[in-house]
Amino acid sequence: MTNIFLQLLINGLVAGSIYALVASGFSLIYSTNKFVHFAHGGVIVLSSYFLFWVSSIIGWNFYIAIPLTIFFASLLGYLINKVFYKPLRTRKASASVLLVASVAILILLESIALLLFGADVKTVALPWNNQSINIGNAFITPLQITILLTTAILFVALHMLMKKTKLGKAMRAVADNKDVAEILGISSEKIYSGTFIIGSAIGGIAAVLVSLEQNITPLMGITLIIKGFTGSIIGGIGSVPGVILGSLLLGFAENFGTWFLSSGFKDAIAFVLLFIFLLIKPHGIFGVKNNQK
Amino acid sequence: MIEAYFIHLLILIGIYLILGISLQLSFGYGGLLNLGHISFFGIGAYVSALLSLNGFSFIFCMIVAALVSAFFGWLLSIPTNRLKGDYLALATLGFSFVVYAVLLNWTDVTGGSFGLANIPRPHFFGITFANNFSFLILVYISVFISYLLISRICNSRFGKVIEATRDDELASKSLGKNTFKLKSLTLTISAFFAGISGSLFAAYITFIDPSSFTLTTLIPILLIVIIGGLTSLPGTILATIVVVLIPEPLRFVGFPSSILGPVQQILYALLLLAIIYYRPRGFYGKIDLE
Repeated sequence: MTNIFLQLLINGLVAGSIYALVASGFSLIYSTNKFVHFAHGGVIVLSSYFLFWVSSIIGWNFYIAIPLTIFFASLLGYLINKVFYKPLRTRKASASVLLVASVAILILLESIALLLFGADVKTVALPWNNQSINIGNAFITPLQITILLTTAILFVALHMLMKKTKLGKAMRAVADNKDVAEILGISSEKIYSGTFIIGSAIGGIAAVLVSLEQNITPLMGITLIIKGFTGSIIGGIGSVPGVILGSLLLGFAENFGTWFLSSGFKDAIAFVLLFIFLLIKPHGIFGVKNNQK
Repeated sequence: MIEAYFIHLLILIGIYLILGISLQLSFGYGGLLNLGHISFFGIGAYVSALLSLNGFSFIFCMIVAALVSAFFGWLLSIPTNRLKGDYLALATLGFSFVVYAVLLNWTDVTGGSFGLANIPRPHFFGITFANNFSFLILVYISVFISYLLISRICNSRFGKVIEATRDDELASKSLGKNTFKLKSLTLTISAFFAGISGSLFAAYITFIDPSSFTLTTLIPILLIVIIGGLTSLPGTILATIVVVLIPEPLRFVGFPSSILGPVQQILYALLLLAIIYYRPRGFYGKIDLE
């Protein structure tokens, strides 16, 4: 007899960690660039297919494919910024224009994946034995433990990056006031490029873990990015601990919700939670009051 | 044969036109970055299909479908009223996911992923709109009435106040306008007409499933509004014709449908990016997207 409560707790923790991985890359880009980069979901989708292509079709070693995928993701993010967003920024396009552009890029990337790999589900095989471990009558796989650990390490690393390094300080300076930062000699375009590279690399890590834990489908990008965005808003966008906490909360809410409703309603539960937060606490748990646009 | 094809295209243009001008009302005039518009279309399609499968007259189905869509528009406007820009876009997109999840999982009513098939063609006042030509006339009567009503609304005092609220909500408030109510009403009316369009869509295609009402299908509608130019209803007509016709040549190249779908999406996405980049106000747009 499995312990349902503990099992749902574990499932929620794993789902929340995946959302946190998606959300932290996305939120890093959002807080500096000040527009919604929906195409981050597209970067994750294409990177997942890249991992599938390298490890399953070309047949390279799994441990070489992982860093390649992360590199591919950050390159893709860098290029999207360079090719699509930068020209729009130089024309002083508003955040809404960039948002519509990012939706178009998301659809573009997902359609490319659909065209190249077809609509059927792809899976990436794990090189190790993924036998579930029994803890207190609930089950967790070694992969799921890896996901939890990765998220925890990334959380600390991202926190250190933002608070301790020069790059992190420059990012926060540009996020706070772009013009003043430029007067002080910080190139905002360089910082934008930097956030796209780092944020998309985190997206690449998310892509690796998502394709191992779930299946790869061309349309998973929208769902992932919407969940990531929701997690960021619940936690308070722009705050690293907030984004992680919000994503975990979302993971728990979805999984404990399946106690009452069929699992197909997971997405609906997530958005009902989002609406509740938008109504009563639109700045999130850790959000800054004057941050709303 | 070629006539049937033209009638098919004209019907599609008509259905998309109602959808385009209804989005123009909330997105262009109201300035609400509404990414959930496709779900009002979906709600309209499902309500109308379910009623007509149960033998109700089409006129009744259409009106109820529009009213139910309008109700959901009103419902969505309550939590999203204070939101702007990014947050509004996310909330409305989230709403469309909730609607999609319900359509997909409420299997007893909506048929789940199998959708609803054999939706009867309209039949009222003793006329059956079974062949496509008579359906075409029905669609264009609806287009005509919708266009007339929406352009009346946009040029009325109400429309002007909506535009004023879009440009400066605080100023509009300080002149004693109830902006909460105004924005709510804009979304409600916009959803009403999307419901009408959905009802026609269901009756024309005679088969609907949840996959027709996702973000992917929103792109052409968004494209119509942006190419036409925000707050330009004549521009929307021109844009609808362009957007419906653009992917058609692909059909004659002879791609299999598994390639046709994604190629069409890529085309739309690139077109949207090109418009935003080269001609952000579209054909006849009067305002910038903010």
